[in-house]
Amino acid sequence: MTPQDITKLIVRTSMKDREAFDLLYRNTSAKLFGVCLRVLGDRAEAEEALQEVFVKIWTKADRFAVSDLSPISWLVAVARNHAVDRVRGRKQKTTDIDAALDVADPSPTPEAIVVAGGQREQIYVCLDELEADRSAAVRGAYLDGDSYLDLAARHNVPLNTMRTWLRRSLMKLRECLER
Amino acid sequence: MNGAGEMEREPEGDDVLAAEYVLGLQTAEERAAVGRRVEESRDFARLVDWWETRFWPMAAEFAEVTPPASVKARIDRLLFSSAAQAAPGERSGFWNSLAVWRTLAIGSLAALVAFAALPFLNPPAPENREQLVASLAADGSDVQYLVMFDGQTGEVGLSHLSGAPASGQTFQLWVIKGTNAPKSAGLVPVGESARITLPTPIADAMEKGDVFAISLEPSGGSPTGQPTGPVVAAGGLTQI
Repeated sequence: MTPQDITKLIVRTSMKDREAFDLLYRNTSAKLFGVCLRVLGDRAEAEEALQEVFVKIWTKADRFAVSDLSPISWLVAVARNHAVDRVRGRKQKTTDIDAALDVADPSPTPEAIVVAGGQREQIYVCLDELEADRSAAVRGAYLDGDSYLDLAARHNVPLNTMRTWLRRSLMKLRECLER
Repeated sequence: MNGAGEMEREPEGDDVLAAEYVLGLQTAEERAAVGRRVEESRDFARLVDWWETRFWPMAAEFAEVTPPASVKARIDRLLFSSAAQAAPGERSGFWNSLAVWRTLAIGSLAALVAFAALPFLNPPAPENREQLVASLAADGSDVQYLVMFDGQTGEVGLSHLSGAPASGQTFQLWVIKGTNAPKSAGLVPVGESARITLPTPIADAMEKGDVFAISLEPSGGSPTGQPTGPVVAAGGLTQI
């Protein structure tokens, strides 16, 4: 599916075209389920979250029109936001669950580093300019839904220290990404 | 990394707040507050989208995992349990296919069911049409409008987000109800925001699920009373 195909399906879904919605589900649910699974770390909860994500997509597909995102990144953002909301809504458990998964690997997977043209994505170039533990923290937040609290516990620093670290790192990231 | 000078850069700015939101670093309460800003401020939403786009390559690391079939079955039950099946059939032209209008009609019924299934538990209430909104956009087009219909006055307010007609051409607004042919709601005045008063028969019949569409027409509007140019933006009305 090209991005144009997915855009078409989202727009048709916003017009309550059920056939388009079915096709959209068929073509994107595996990715969005992967997102829910990784962030939530629990299969049953991820299934529930995915269900809610697609109900959201059905009812709010018209919101895509006012976003600057590419269609698949909009869908992933809807899923990630929903999964993160769920994690934040539950109490305390996150750190244990994340610790039980092998989520702290700081090195990006090879397929993620190299894009089609063989060029490295800018975000990885910029993450490499950060200190290793901070870059790992940013990745942990994006991919595993880690909060400031989770990250402070994992890196064994006070919450405020983690917050200061990461805010500075985000400023540096922005400078680098704008280059 | 050390030194007091770092603090003068005010890392608490909106930029960092948007990044924190995208990464999901905040607590539930903080997230809810920032989420409201995303809804209310287009500038802030753009910052969020900027970060979302920059971080996006990392999403390649989310493995694809096929969900069990039971998930889709539950979604369908939730959204469509009492609605009719979607009409089968080919969609060729956006405007030319009857199947589209048929599906739109069935879709709006499904939308009512979806609304009823949500926690608000609104009963389907097509007669309640005080304020309806739609976001208009279309594939292959950069034209975007937000449209609000006021049932009390019969007025349509259009907020222009992007896209413009070439010189010598104009945008024309259409209302589509179910399987009916589009009805002209008038030419869209140029400008960031515009108002069009709908003809009374059209205004009185407006309800949730109806579709607003904008087509590109020669200046002066469609000569035929039906859209003659491409649809550059369309969207269904939802209740607010």
